Amino acid sequence: MNSLLASAVAGLSAGGAYAILGVCAVFTYRLVAVVNFTGAAIGAAGTFVMVTLYESGYPLAIGVPAGIAAGALVATWIGIVMTTWFAGASASTKAAVTAALLVGIIAVGLRLTGGQHPHSFPELVTGSAFRFAGVEVTRASLLTLAIAVVFTLVTEQFLARTRTGLQLRALSLRPMAAELIGIRVRLLALCVWAVVGAVTSFALMVIAPLRSPDFMSLSLLVVPALAAALIGAFTSFRAALIGGLMIGIIEGVASGLDTFSQYRGAIPFLVILAVLLWSQRGARWDEAR
Amino acid sequence: MTSLDIKGLVVNRSGIPIVRGIDLSARGGEISVVLGSNGAGKTTTLEGISGIIPAAGEVLLDGENIAGANAGTRARRGLRHVEQGRTVFAEMTVEENLAVALHPSANLDEAYALFPELVQRRGVNAGMLSGGEQQMLVIARALVGRPKVVLIDEMSSGLAPVIVSRLMSAVRTLADDGMAVVLVEQFATLALAIGNRAYVLRRGEIVYDGGCQALVRDPARLHALYLGEAGQAA
Ligand SMILES: Nc1ncnc2c1ncn2[C@@H]1O[C@H](COP(=O)(O)OP(=O)(O)OP(=O)(O)O)[C@@H](O)[C@H]1O
Ligand SMILES: [Mg+2]
Repeated sequence: MNSLLASAVAGLSAGGAYAILGVCAVFTYRLVAVVNFTGAAIGAAGTFVMVTLYESGYPLAIGVPAGIAAGALVATWIGIVMTTWFAGASASTKAAVTAALLVGIIAVGLRLTGGQHPHSFPELVTGSAFRFAGVEVTRASLLTLAIAVVFTLVTEQFLARTRTGLQLRALSLRPMAAELIGIRVRLLALCVWAVVGAVTSFALMVIAPLRSPDFMSLSLLVVPALAAALIGAFTSFRAALIGGLMIGIIEGVASGLDTFSQYRGAIPFLVILAVLLWSQRGARWDEAR
Repeated sequence: MTSLDIKGLVVNRSGIPIVRGIDLSARGGEISVVLGSNGAGKTTTLEGISGIIPAAGEVLLDGENIAGANAGTRARRGLRHVEQGRTVFAEMTVEENLAVALHPSANLDEAYALFPELVQRRGVNAGMLSGGEQQMLVIARALVGRPKVVLIDEMSSGLAPVIVSRLMSAVRTLADDGMAVVLVEQFATLALAIGNRAYVLRRGEIVYDGGCQALVRDPARLHALYLGEAGQAA
């Protein structure tokens, strides 16, 4: 029993990361109407800039901000691509474009970071925060958890209370009407991309040492992220937050059970499948009415 | 005084010229009424002016050609396009719809003074408003942006006559406050009653350019202008 709890707690740090990525996916979808497959890859790019600087002897105080800035830049570049050529495209076209970009970014990323060859990832936060029921809770997992919760709450409050938040909501509801009342639509969209890039980069830096830290695996964290976002129907930040945590915890528990541990990578997929089936059931019910 | 002058406007859609060489003007304090039957090209003309779709020709705002600018820049220069179909931000309240469009030197009371009926609805999501209230909201939303020129597309469609008169008098107020208004309408009588200049558009071309009163006095001519082909065939 205790070992199960330990595995669940171990899953928490991954869960925190999934939650951040999931909330970012909702953020991107709600504000710039893109289902973004490149979310984690952007973070991976930022993380590897940090690692590269670290490996060449720069202190983390330089590497971390530089990595975050690099993530923001990569995201902004994707934002420029999306707003320049695909502003009027359908949601599925935009999603397909980001999927294609993901493939491209992974290819370039693997090339630049030396393939699957592992790097030495510095642990940004080390040590255990406290023991809970005999299980050690690490500072890293607490930090990801805190970032996820704070990012969710700050985003909600920002959208509800600030003028820029109001403009972002207007933009997300009716981009053309927003433009016609003089809102700087493109600038706002690029800011959204930049924020997403910065936040995901930092999140991945924190959890990278706990994963198999190659460019590809980090980029593919987009799968649990989208599963988390899907739980919130790509609209609710809180549901994505909780969904991300749940996926992490379930994964942790599964890895603690010998029979399931080999299949734990399939958990986000099972969650996606379950949510889609559930929502389809709703649609069919609507049709039948 | 504000002036909008459109010269030789040509707008294509799917490669087909829909609007072909339109000249049109509006002056501060005046309403330029643009009439024409379904599919005449009224909406396309406004979209060309506001920059929603690319267009050839000149768009002179106070003498400066803004045709090279995108829709957002034209809006910030003082052009407001109130689109056909009441494009409220449905999941934002009435007050938020206005606040998001508020010019630093304007305030929400101006909107509520123009349409007092919106005051008691200020906390309601705009999507829950009636069609008439939504139309009031999008006009008020344009007003609080302190525009020089307002383009209004078919605000009366689907609304009860009493609401339409209400809207018409509000639009007259906008003009009386100094704005230049371009009012696109399919239903001519009420629009001509508040308008100054009139244009009739048929198959993407201007077939009448003159005073509103001349058309009010000569309904048969207006009828013929609308139904061009029938008139020529006769
Ligand atoms: N995307 C498009 N591709 C090709 N033709 C189009 C397109 N959109 C509109 N049209 C055509 O352009 C013409 C003008 O349309 P427009 O909407 O400007 O007319 P309108 O005068 O505003 O009509 P209404 O009174 O019905 O609003 C119509 O004949 C229409 O069929
Ligand atoms: Mg029209």
